[in-house]
Amino acid sequence: MGVWSLQFNPPIFLIPHQVSTNALDFRPQLACNKTYQIWNGKSKYRSFLIRASANTSGEEDKSVKDEVTLTKLAKDGMVIIQHKVSRLQETIVSLPPVVFLVKRSPLSHLALGFCIAAAMLIVGVRAYVARKLRQKRTGSVADLVRRGQLNSDRRGISTPGMYDDPFNNPQVKISRNNTSVEMCGKVYKLEPVTLTREEQNIHQKRRSRAYQWKRPTIFLKEGDPIPSDVDPDTVRWIPANHPFATTISDITEDLAQNNVFQKHGVPFRIQAEHEALQKKLEALQSDQKLNNLAIDPGTARNFERPFKSNPKLEDQQQMEHNSKNGQTASQPESQSQQNSHESSSNSTYEEKQTL
Amino acid sequence: MSSLRFLPNPTHFPHLNPIPKHPPNPNPNPKPKHPFTQIHSALQYNRKPQLTGPTPRVVVITSGKGGVGKTTTTANIGLSLARLNFSVVAIDADVGLRNLDLLLGLENRVNYTVVEVLNGDCRLDQALVRDKRWSNFELLCISKPRSKLPLGFGGKALVWLVDALKARQEGCPDFILIDCPAGIDAGFITAITPANEAVLVTTPDITALRDADRVTGLLECDGIRDIKMIVNRVRTDLIRGEDMMSVLDVQEMLGLALLGVIPEDSEVIRSTNRGFPLVLNKPPTLAGLAFEQAAWRLVEQDSMKAVMVEEEPKKKGFFSFFGG
Repeated sequence: MGVWSLQFNPPIFLIPHQVSTNALDFRPQLACNKTYQIWNGKSKYRSFLIRASANTSGEEDKSVKDEVTLTKLAKDGMVIIQHKVSRLQETIVSLPPVVFLVKRSPLSHLALGFCIAAAMLIVGVRAYVARKLRQKRTGSVADLVRRGQLNSDRRGISTPGMYDDPFNNPQVKISRNNTSVEMCGKVYKLEPVTLTREEQNIHQKRRSRAYQWKRPTIFLKEGDPIPSDVDPDTVRWIPANHPFATTISDITEDLAQNNVFQKHGVPFRIQAEHEALQKKLEALQSDQKLNNLAIDPGTARNFERPFKSNPKLEDQQQMEHNSKNGQTASQPESQSQQNSHESSSNSTYEEKQTL
Repeated sequence: MSSLRFLPNPTHFPHLNPIPKHPPNPNPNPKPKHPFTQIHSALQYNRKPQLTGPTPRVVVITSGKGGVGKTTTTANIGLSLARLNFSVVAIDADVGLRNLDLLLGLENRVNYTVVEVLNGDCRLDQALVRDKRWSNFELLCISKPRSKLPLGFGGKALVWLVDALKARQEGCPDFILIDCPAGIDAGFITAITPANEAVLVTTPDITALRDADRVTGLLECDGIRDIKMIVNRVRTDLIRGEDMMSVLDVQEMLGLALLGVIPEDSEVIRSTNRGFPLVLNKPPTLAGLAFEQAAWRLVEQDSMKAVMVEEEPKKKGFFSFFGG
């Protein structure tokens, strides 16, 4: 009985390909037995088990025996229910292993293969997407290109985000007992700091003994004399080729301080340069007037002494010439003066432009 | 005892007894453990920090050793403070090798520097470069890369600058951050002259720690007592494998209050290339968050009460294989 009941348990019957040949033998009888169907109702499987237990007797007595059994069941139904748990256990034990079932059916092979293929596909797609994303995200070297620090034409430009809420940070979580902290998805153990004030003082004393130092207040080049009002310990000697030492500055300390504190207006050096230029220009202009008087070829010609081979003769000739053309003699002089004036004005204009 | 290792020449100071001697401890790891200590105010968010101390707070950011992240710290803390609605002026005091403008992406807008102001080529307000992203942040460079600073009044010049900024018409800035050059040369002396407090940036390696200890000593000699440290480029995985000193080890050696611990983050180089400080990144990065917290503590003159020591593996879901 035990063997039969084990083989024809309901969960197995639900799947067609799991029904054994023994079960198929009983099928027609089950279908014909109306009494069984009507009577049995919900407890179909239970009666089925009982029928299975009775299948060793002859076919003629089967219907009678079934009725007897059923009436017995009606009386002793409670007994069967009591054994439900034990039968369930037997059922579980009797379940054939999965591999056995798979081997038996090509459909299960298909389903299993499908599942494996789907899983492989998911893993593959995920890896592909992750790789794609990794490739898509260019490194921050691209930012160096954007900033002009690195030369490359083919680099991308990344867009950094702004994290602008320091007062509500969900990335930091502390455990309730303050023993661990979760930051950016990582959990860290916390350990209390053990340094005491006394230990700090001890370290300070140690350092004060170890490092006796005065901050240098003056920087002198090697070879410079120490000023009388300066503590020699506060002198910082620097080599003569030090970048600071080689710097020559025309700015005095007071002037530099004033420059730092200046809030409005034109900066000192800009103003100084402007004024210096202005002075230079004025000086140039005034110099040009003097120079014009001195160097102008037109005026110079006036003072030029012509070559005189026979001065008396020339004087006579000139006197005659003047007496003939009294007015024309003065013209070249006036023209030369005009030319000289124009040339001087042109020269000053050119100088202005170059300045 | 461990801090002795970082003294330049311990043999030169035979009388030196930096830390009182404790009885010999058989335990190789003498660090006291407080597993049940309640940690208060590890992080503070969702409220504006309260500014303490007189303004302007003149803070010099220094390290001694180069390449530990002074300029990155200046840029990120400066912009964090600006985001918290404080007016900030960042001065790049690295005379010959300025980089702060590059980190902030303002390199094309620096036309005038302090040298031009001193020479009278421009006024101070013309040399201040206002950041367009956060208008209460301004940059001031000391000099152009190829120009030479007159040395005679190097330190005094910064004092004048601070005084001039105090007397501005727009009002006195809340913070003046000075990015100090590496080393303890003339540039360092110039940078620390006007400062009232200092932020010491270091990495958890022995070379940076020795320099940091020396620089702290010089700062203390100069009268700057308010010194806090930022431990940069911390890797919890190396600390777990005991290949890197932990932050608490660093603190034990230097004996300074912790302003922040910045984890190693690949986003730093990206943000540098981009000219976009980490703290403005969206979504925020680990290092950016740490800089924000450091800025927060700087405002309130607070220090860290707890440090992140180890990364715990996060529980993975059933569908993590499929990206769940």
